[in-house]
Amino acid sequence: MNAVVIFGLLAILMLTGMPISISLGLTVLTFLFTMTQVPLESVALKLFTGIEKFEIMAIPFFILAGNFLTHGGVAKRMINFATSMVGHWYGGLGLAGVVACALFAAVSGSSPATVVAIGSILLPAMVKAGFPKKFGAGVISTSGALGILIPPSIVMVMYSVATNTSVGALFMAGVVPGIALALTLGGVTWYRARKYDYPRQPKATWGERWKAFRASVWGLLLIVVVMGGIYTGIFTPTEAAAMSAVYAFICAVFIYRDLGLKDVPKVLLNSANMSAMLLYIITNAVLFSFIMTNENIPQALADWMLGHGLGLITFLLAVNVILLLAGNFMEPSSIVLIFAPILFPVAVKLGIHPVHFGILMVVNMEVGMCHPPVGLNLYVASGITKMGITELTVAVWPWLLSMLCFLMLVTYWPSLSLWLPQQLGML
Amino acid sequence: MINKVLNHLEELLVTFLMGAATLIIFVSVMHRYLAGVEIPGLQDWLLSLNFSWAQELCIIMFVWMAKFGAAYGVRTGIHVGVDVLINRLSDRFRGKFIIFGLLAGALFTGIVGALGATFVWDNGAHYAIFNFLGVHGEDLYEGPTTPDLEWPTWMVYSAIPLGSSLMCFRFLQVAWGFSKTGELPHHDHGHVEGLEEEDGLAVDVDVYGMGDNLHMHDLKHEQFGERRSGDDRREDGDLSSDSDRRHGQRRNSDEKQGGQQ
Repeated sequence: MNAVVIFGLLAILMLTGMPISISLGLTVLTFLFTMTQVPLESVALKLFTGIEKFEIMAIPFFILAGNFLTHGGVAKRMINFATSMVGHWYGGLGLAGVVACALFAAVSGSSPATVVAIGSILLPAMVKAGFPKKFGAGVISTSGALGILIPPSIVMVMYSVATNTSVGALFMAGVVPGIALALTLGGVTWYRARKYDYPRQPKATWGERWKAFRASVWGLLLIVVVMGGIYTGIFTPTEAAAMSAVYAFICAVFIYRDLGLKDVPKVLLNSANMSAMLLYIITNAVLFSFIMTNENIPQALADWMLGHGLGLITFLLAVNVILLLAGNFMEPSSIVLIFAPILFPVAVKLGIHPVHFGILMVVNMEVGMCHPPVGLNLYVASGITKMGITELTVAVWPWLLSMLCFLMLVTYWPSLSLWLPQQLGML
Repeated sequence: MINKVLNHLEELLVTFLMGAATLIIFVSVMHRYLAGVEIPGLQDWLLSLNFSWAQELCIIMFVWMAKFGAAYGVRTGIHVGVDVLINRLSDRFRGKFIIFGLLAGALFTGIVGALGATFVWDNGAHYAIFNFLGVHGEDLYEGPTTPDLEWPTWMVYSAIPLGSSLMCFRFLQVAWGFSKTGELPHHDHGHVEGLEEEDGLAVDVDVYGMGDNLHMHDLKHEQFGERRSGDDRREDGDLSSDSDRRHGQRRNSDEKQGGQQ
């Protein structure tokens, strides 16, 4: 009964359009004032201690690093490198876009940021090279989604906060599915480019490739810093995030010089603004899951589901449907923070590995970012190409369809995600 | 005037906390590894430094940043919501929902501010202030301190009442502005800084600030990428790429103005 009231109230408050953090908070307050004896002071304390974990602090650092990197230099050189490697195949620049997105995703933790960084440079170039606008927009908006699957990933940090799963293991688990998804998207690009005979780039010599690699090596080194650092245990994920922020700053300001020192405070302020927004949602989501646990709602849900003989396959299918539906209304971080604490206990009871479940959620979020009404990637792509959302929705469907197939693969084939962290001895 | 000073203070504080926290963690990690390298003189000096407080300070700084940044976020309109439904309403109804949402925000942050203030007062602020003033309360609670830095927790936790009250003020301010002009703050940071024109088109670097359905569409601006509301759709007839392009350009000029502010 309480569960119905809580969720009903939350849903109504959210649909009035107020910020998600506020609707979460108001639900909690209403509940506390009317239905329980939990002392209110402990709530005020929870507001501070809710985000008093060092793991959470990786989020502002990754956002800061991403904002330094979005300013052109790194992305441009990655695109050049990718073009020199795969540009001569069918799909040329489109294929290079997929590769560049995958590379950029490995240094940035957010998927719209990946679309901004790669798209704003590559899309005009693709139009100039004779690709239809639709094709370019489709490739980049979907490949940009790799940003949250290939580590580092802000959504994965959110999941680990909500469920106490190891960030390091999640990051490692994202590598193989990330590469697999990049191959899938690249495959679709290649196929469509061959079918419609889109232009190809002249083949680059190995000398040119080496030159492009040398130019982009500073950005690529960041992958080594983050992943290598976490894997070898030199850094904790949060420290790795802080290191990558400082490294990205040095890259942008001193090595590639696409940012002046005078721009730095603005970048800091922008990053702080976005991080604060996300941290504020986390604070209130922590409160929300605190009262849910207090009311034993996740446990009750788990018992109810198991009592009705719900099997693994049906549960996973239901999870996918729920998350895809939620992707129509909310942005990924909020979805993970609200749904993970509810679904996680059931998943664990059914014997689903926490890390596998995390990857499943992330891939779901990726799909949600690529379709309207709230797909952030589409809005970013629309900002770059000046195409309408409806037009873009049509443009992305071949890739989106392949992503849905990929989602099924990830859902029912746990080893795809779990193999690498197991090989590395992280699980 | 006072408002301007407050705006600047808020921005300065948030920017400083973000930068300083990053530097602190960077220095402490560097210290941890360099102290293990045998460089005569330098090593001894490094070993004599103690950075065990770095994590705690970083957390405190980020929590402060989160509280004040959230207030700044109200002013810049960055907070995401579920606005699919209300963005499809007519202007008049949407306006009412927007006001309701903003006032709800003010209510929540107001309550939290009050709760936080009580908590901070009871856990040491009362004692500290009375002691400072030379008044001796009989049985006032001195309050705990943080583990590493040994700062009184009430000082650290005062981020909640201060930040929340500021946020409450911001919500009221935005609501007032909206009821006067029908305008909501839009998160325009203009171009990607440092990206030269020839490299690409102007892009709004802030991905949460676009005209998506995560934010409330106000009554003044044309939205980017998508038709705005029921009224609009009827006027425009079917959605053609032409009208979208127009929206895009309109937005673009908006951005330029935003960038100069």
